[in-house]
Amino acid sequence: MLALTYDVGNIWLDSLLGVLALVALMTVSALMLIWLERKISARIQMRLGPMRVGPYGLLQTAADALKLIGKEDLRPKTANRWVFELAPFAVFVPTFAALVTIPFTRDWAIAFLDLGLFYVVAVTGLAFVGFLMAGWASDNKYALLGGMRAAAQLISYEVPMVVTLVAVAMVAGSLNLSEIVLFQNRIPLFVWQPLGFFIFIVAALAELERQPFDIPTAESEVVGGPFIEYSGIRWSMFFLASYTSLLIYSLLGSIVFLGGWEWPLGTEAGLWLQILLILVKTSLFIAFFMWVRFALVRLRIDQLMSYCWKVLIPLAFLQVFLNGLVLVYGWPDGFLLLTSGAGLALAMYIIYRAVDTEPRELRMVPARGGGSSAQAATVDATGSG
Amino acid sequence: MVQEHELEPETVDIGVNMGPQHPSTHGVFRMVLTIDGERVVDVEPHIGYMHRGAEKLSESMDYRAAIGFQDRTDYLAQFMNEQAYCMAVEELLELEVPERSEYIRVILCELNRVTSHLMFLGAFGIDLGYFGTSFTYGFRERERIQDIFEEVTGDRLMYAYFRPGGLAWDVPDNFVQMVRDVLPHTRQGLKDLDLLMTQNEIVAVRTKGIGAMSAEESINWGLSGPLLRAAGVDWDLRKDKPYSIYDRFDYDIPLGSHGDLFDRFLVRLEEARQSLCIVEQALDQLPDGPIMPEKMPRRLRGPEAEVYTAVEGARGEYGVYLVSKGGDKPYRLKMRSPSFCNLSALRDMTVGSYVADAVAILGSIDIVLGCVDR
Amino acid sequence: MIGIFKSMYITFATMLRTPVTIEYPAKHRDVPQRDRAFPILLWDKEVDEPFCTGCHACERACPVECMTVTMKDNPLHADEKSTRRKIVDEFWIDYGRCMRCNICVEVCNFEAIAMNNTWAGHELSKFDRNDLVLDLQQLLSQHKQDKIDAWVAE
Repeated sequence: MLALTYDVGNIWLDSLLGVLALVALMTVSALMLIWLERKISARIQMRLGPMRVGPYGLLQTAADALKLIGKEDLRPKTANRWVFELAPFAVFVPTFAALVTIPFTRDWAIAFLDLGLFYVVAVTGLAFVGFLMAGWASDNKYALLGGMRAAAQLISYEVPMVVTLVAVAMVAGSLNLSEIVLFQNRIPLFVWQPLGFFIFIVAALAELERQPFDIPTAESEVVGGPFIEYSGIRWSMFFLASYTSLLIYSLLGSIVFLGGWEWPLGTEAGLWLQILLILVKTSLFIAFFMWVRFALVRLRIDQLMSYCWKVLIPLAFLQVFLNGLVLVYGWPDGFLLLTSGAGLALAMYIIYRAVDTEPRELRMVPARGGGSSAQAATVDATGSG
Repeated sequence: MVQEHELEPETVDIGVNMGPQHPSTHGVFRMVLTIDGERVVDVEPHIGYMHRGAEKLSESMDYRAAIGFQDRTDYLAQFMNEQAYCMAVEELLELEVPERSEYIRVILCELNRVTSHLMFLGAFGIDLGYFGTSFTYGFRERERIQDIFEEVTGDRLMYAYFRPGGLAWDVPDNFVQMVRDVLPHTRQGLKDLDLLMTQNEIVAVRTKGIGAMSAEESINWGLSGPLLRAAGVDWDLRKDKPYSIYDRFDYDIPLGSHGDLFDRFLVRLEEARQSLCIVEQALDQLPDGPIMPEKMPRRLRGPEAEVYTAVEGARGEYGVYLVSKGGDKPYRLKMRSPSFCNLSALRDMTVGSYVADAVAILGSIDIVLGCVDR
Repeated sequence: MIGIFKSMYITFATMLRTPVTIEYPAKHRDVPQRDRAFPILLWDKEVDEPFCTGCHACERACPVECMTVTMKDNPLHADEKSTRRKIVDEFWIDYGRCMRCNICVEVCNFEAIAMNNTWAGHELSKFDRNDLVLDLQQLLSQHKQDKIDAWVAE
């Protein structure tokens, strides 16, 4: 990674080194994330998790990856060959491309783009094409269902995600991710915009297809959805892409809402502290996403869509509206905190009201023995003894 | 001028073949769904992938040897099946079951009901979308109870422990203590599942009002067990046609009101708790004494008669209809399996719901394919 | 939202509890004394011959017909070392068919057959299902080597 901060001189060599560093980062982080997820799930379910390969099973995912590489690359006979084989790349490339502009510290990034936020959102939004391709080309009805669900879900949740990020960009006054972080060097944005933060997390969960929004890949309904016919290295590319996007959304969340590598309250952080800070903040997001995955059940597709279009998008626009008010009239940030907090409460209230949470009482019909049970027992016991 | 209907795209219903190799069909069940987008238009169940001819096989061997097949019908509530079968043979042969055996049977049956319901609660969570969490919560406690079963019977799943007339052998000396030690764990497991699912809003939106059956429909379809009670029908064989010694215990029978998935979930959760109450009372009253009747015939030869006995199994009324023409083998053995009867209502519950609901509804019936196909 | 927070709480609470699973092939939990794995034959150490006389009682009682027994005259009886006039000649049990119902143990008049109650009785994975048909020597070897803790059913 250090090579990225120095000017190598040759632009081709420079970009080659950058790409190599990114590939290494993606692979290692995906391996570690899979291991972490398996461990967290195991502990939540009071299991041990992977323990055999390496210390605490750390090398388990590496072993799995080796196995997947060695597997035969199967393709159904009736599948559309080129679409089927290109679909993993169509999922993989956008996530890879999105990672390019994400800054890890103040000076470390492959490319600092002025439109960084816009670029990340635009590129990650392309991933649904890959899911649709995979679902359509597999010639499998589960895959078709899954692909359609993926397309509907990813496009829908792109909207609240973009609108909240617009709200952030309005306040920060820039689309450059580094400048958004710099803007938060006193107080991170999630304090001022809890509603936006909430919407971001929900939308990110949906974009990542994790519980409670793992509808496209629902194991118990469509059995893996678009991935159902894939095996070996192509399947592992889907997996790699999904964990890389977990990393991307966690990084994006920590940069945009938690203040990235900046220590709050305006203290200047050194390089190592910057690395530590962004690592901790990203890990918080990752741990939360993983925790939610094992604590919640899946929504249904119609509930998912109505939740997006009827709740999240109006609330996201509300956040934009509030930010606009503050910016135009120069009201204090405290107003933003209050109103956005009220919006968050409103969101919770909507969920509370929309759901029939009234506790149900069961009618208990007592079944009582004819005589005193204890007496009958003693009589019988003496009788038989 | 284009007609409006020409602008509408033409849609086709597609048939999705769910099963027999599908993770959420609870075994080798196959349902052919006809779906319009995500809506289920029609569902056609196919059964018989696990038919082993248990009824016919039982006719070709003597009364004692056929016990093993009872374990293999409803393999999640084995003791109840064994009890139904043993009760049928006892009624046929007019055997008197000793007091101690009755108590041990009740304790084991009720623990078995708990394991079965724990299995349901776990698997239902998976059908709704938990990534294994509810399943491991349920299985964690189920394993502890199975440890007891293993100590008592020697096997974890296929117990073959009840015999016509009593039990195969007496329980170990520390049996009472073992069960008492496990009960708090089981309560904890039920509490965990309760906390995990009962108030969860997402569970609520996925289950409330889905797959509902009214009391009248449930009776018409011949449902029994928790499905019937979730619809609000007060019918439990333990209370209404007391067999064995169930009339000696105090417990409540939970009844739902809506008959939807959520009520089925709640009813089973509460039933498991009530079963633990029965176990506690039975442990208090457990008498000493023999486990087999004193004048037990060496070969079981039945008179010419017909008997039908039924128990309240974990899934509903599990009945055994036995026709004897004399000799040591039944002439005809028919098992009235609750899974099969409950499954027949699948179409009525499913049509019009979503694909995701179809999976959850199938899960809520809690079928055991060994019991459906026998 | 309360229910969602409750779910989050309980998952977090269980994360802090000790795991209940063990690493199976490395560690074995104790099997109870009554554990029923598969039937094996017992060896009479006093006379140095199997208890089994080959009387076919288990073969007839077996619900799945997994046993085959043949009987022969006992050579040791002729030498007056043994009280058994007949002894088992060949004995096969197909573990692939056996459904471990314990009936053979119950019908045996000589307490010559018992259910294996060790882990060795459970871990029987084979590549060929014919390897699961055990002959007399294999059936006797477990008890000959004192590997089992014989729990003869009442």
